[in-house]
Amino acid sequence: MSFVRKIHPFLLPFSVLSWLALLTGTLLYVHPALTEGRFMPSGWMVLALLALFTVALFLRERYRPERLRGIDFNRLMGRLVRGPGLLAAAGVGLHLVLYYVQPPPATGSLLLTGIYLSNVGLFMVLLARTTYAWRSLVLFHNTDRLRQHWTWFEVLLGATLLLHLLPWTPPLGLATALFGALGAFGAYLSGRQKWVAYLSRRQKLEVLLLQLAIIAVMALFVFYFQRTQNTLRLLVPPTQSAFLLLCAFFAGFYALVGLLVTLLHLPTAGVFEQKREEILSMQRLTQLIQRGQTAAEVYRMFFESAIQTVGADAAWLLVEEQEKNYLEHHHHLTPEQGNAIRLLLADYNLSNIEYLNNDLAGSSFRQLNLPYGSLMVMPLQSSKQQYGNIYVLKQYAQAFDRENLSILQTFASQTVLSIENLQLIQASLNTQRVQDELKIASAVQESLIPKNLPIDNWFEISSHAVSATEVGGDFYDFLHLPGRRLAVLIGDVSGKGVTAAFHVAQMKGIFHALMQENPLARNEREKFPVPSKFMAQANDALARCLEKSAFITASLYIIDYEHGGFVFARAGHCHTLYYHSIKEEVSYFRTTGLGLGIIRNDGYEKHIKNQFYDYNPGDVMVIYTDGIVEARDAAQDEYGEDRLLRMLEQSFYLDADQIKEYMLADLNEFSKGQPMHDDQTLLVIKFKAAQPEAGL
Amino acid sequence: MKITQNSTDTTLTLILDGELDASSSVLLDNELSKPEILRNQKILVDCRQLNYISSAGLGVFISHLQTFQDANVKLVFFNMQEKVHNVFEILGLDSLMTIVPSSAEAEAA
Repeated sequence: MSFVRKIHPFLLPFSVLSWLALLTGTLLYVHPALTEGRFMPSGWMVLALLALFTVALFLRERYRPERLRGIDFNRLMGRLVRGPGLLAAAGVGLHLVLYYVQPPPATGSLLLTGIYLSNVGLFMVLLARTTYAWRSLVLFHNTDRLRQHWTWFEVLLGATLLLHLLPWTPPLGLATALFGALGAFGAYLSGRQKWVAYLSRRQKLEVLLLQLAIIAVMALFVFYFQRTQNTLRLLVPPTQSAFLLLCAFFAGFYALVGLLVTLLHLPTAGVFEQKREEILSMQRLTQLIQRGQTAAEVYRMFFESAIQTVGADAAWLLVEEQEKNYLEHHHHLTPEQGNAIRLLLADYNLSNIEYLNNDLAGSSFRQLNLPYGSLMVMPLQSSKQQYGNIYVLKQYAQAFDRENLSILQTFASQTVLSIENLQLIQASLNTQRVQDELKIASAVQESLIPKNLPIDNWFEISSHAVSATEVGGDFYDFLHLPGRRLAVLIGDVSGKGVTAAFHVAQMKGIFHALMQENPLARNEREKFPVPSKFMAQANDALARCLEKSAFITASLYIIDYEHGGFVFARAGHCHTLYYHSIKEEVSYFRTTGLGLGIIRNDGYEKHIKNQFYDYNPGDVMVIYTDGIVEARDAAQDEYGEDRLLRMLEQSFYLDADQIKEYMLADLNEFSKGQPMHDDQTLLVIKFKAAQPEAGL
Repeated sequence: MKITQNSTDTTLTLILDGELDASSSVLLDNELSKPEILRNQKILVDCRQLNYISSAGLGVFISHLQTFQDANVKLVFFNMQEKVHNVFEILGLDSLMTIVPSSAEAEAA
């Protein structure tokens, strides 16, 4: 059918043109005097032009975009009646008025012929519009099978257009049978009136009027054509009457059946509307969640919907939000009355369960003197939690049924669902907030890592640091001291996450605070704390703020590159790996030293020692955290100190950067495919041949 | 992680089996936090089946160290695997805690 879709835009001009051709043809046919008999079209030509016009109009309607919007049937029918319906009726009215005011001459006047033809055109338009409006209604919520039936109906109807164009006229009996069968087909399709059920009471009344209008217009035309056909010498041989009649019959009959169905549905409209209202309330309740409304709004919505749906005369909603903090809604019921009901139910052990009492006067409720006869109670609860209860009352006894109870129950469970959804949304928002804050923490920590490594021609430094989680517990830092000295700190806070990150920041603070020049120093050596002294002071500072089970390991190196030596203290931190260029040997400095925060009294200082070493050009120092040596492979084996040592044996002659890359490459190969358990930090320092500082 | 307890009048023996990581150290902490544990004179920790100890695991022992000392309860580790011992040693805990090779020495300690 893509062909029709392609020519669709041309169908309107084509139908206008074919109508003009039809007008001209008919005028010439009826008034041969106009051309003095030189050109006299045959009756067949007039009929063929009419058929063309009809086909163009119907095809155009057939392939228009769907006119029915959702279930707005009233709009569909309203536009049909107010548009082509009114226009066609006006045309007919005009003709009939003219006709009666001034009886025509025997051959008919030019004016009347013109009006007649415009009426034929308008009627065709109306028929086409009506037929396809009905198609939308017939196929509304229907099956493919019916769709096929409709297509057959269209094809057969179209075939009747050709009937008068054939030289052969079927015998009267056959023609009657054929038309009768097609009429029956139309009647069968007229039974498809599902759409009526979707109308509200008001809409039904409106539709009734519209259907009446359509039937009236159809009747008007049939009457009109009968009158004009006999009196005017028009369109002989007879018009495409079979097609016109069948179409008009279907259009009118569908409207008639629709009218009856709508009439019959009127009394039950209220019930349908109530059901629809229930569904809509439910939808509103559901949508409240998506709009991210508050729990209070959901409860209010539930309360109002419940009252409206069961038609309650009084109601009370009691929700316990937090400990002894209640949210209440009242409708014609005082809190005292509500409480009295609640307490009475509690006396009978009927709290927080569904309860229906249709005869309050005949039960223990009599003593409360309530002006109500029926009561329903519905708890709001999930498997996890009890939220509250709704109490619904009606004035008369026997006013509630099981149906009401189950609706209320559905509402209640929907409400609980909404409430729990809101809680989930709230919870996920909180999680999101925490994650956002972690990102900030991560960025802050990132800024604590020294970006610019010390550069000097006495040594090379290369560093690597990654965290297993957003924020890590590893740290390292550098500080230039006067007298061509450099302090290097590395460490690891036990535990992970935000707590560890805080202690990292603290540790950096302690480092920078303690590594200040002491103005009271009596000699050069006391100006800056030696590493063991630093550790003792740091331990002292940390003892007051570190939680009991937490500790920190750290190593502090003070490198004096003027004298070519360094001093360091190891507070429980990983051993220092070292390449001695003179001995051509790689080994660990196996010194003793206790982690920070493990003992929190004055006794710490005797657990930490300073180690001095004079380095030579070409020596390499590798300092790292346990995330490196405790990295695991697929078999859960640890990387270990020995393998790290071998790596340095193989790479000591390279630049600091290259040594680091060499080691990391091996480490990544080792732990390939394994999750990272711990933060990893690796610093490589390579000492170079002493060169005098420029300008000195 | 499995923690088995053997108790005599004065001695409590804890047998640790598996990896003492962040989650299992909570179990151990619960055991060591019980008030009645201070009634023992000695707490022996059998580390034969202890394959790994994380900093959280070390933290548990560290956090109870002072309490035990104050209550005069001796904490002794024995049968420790070398790599676990290495962890204690690097952190310097071997100078604070009693770590002995065998159960006989542990009982004698």
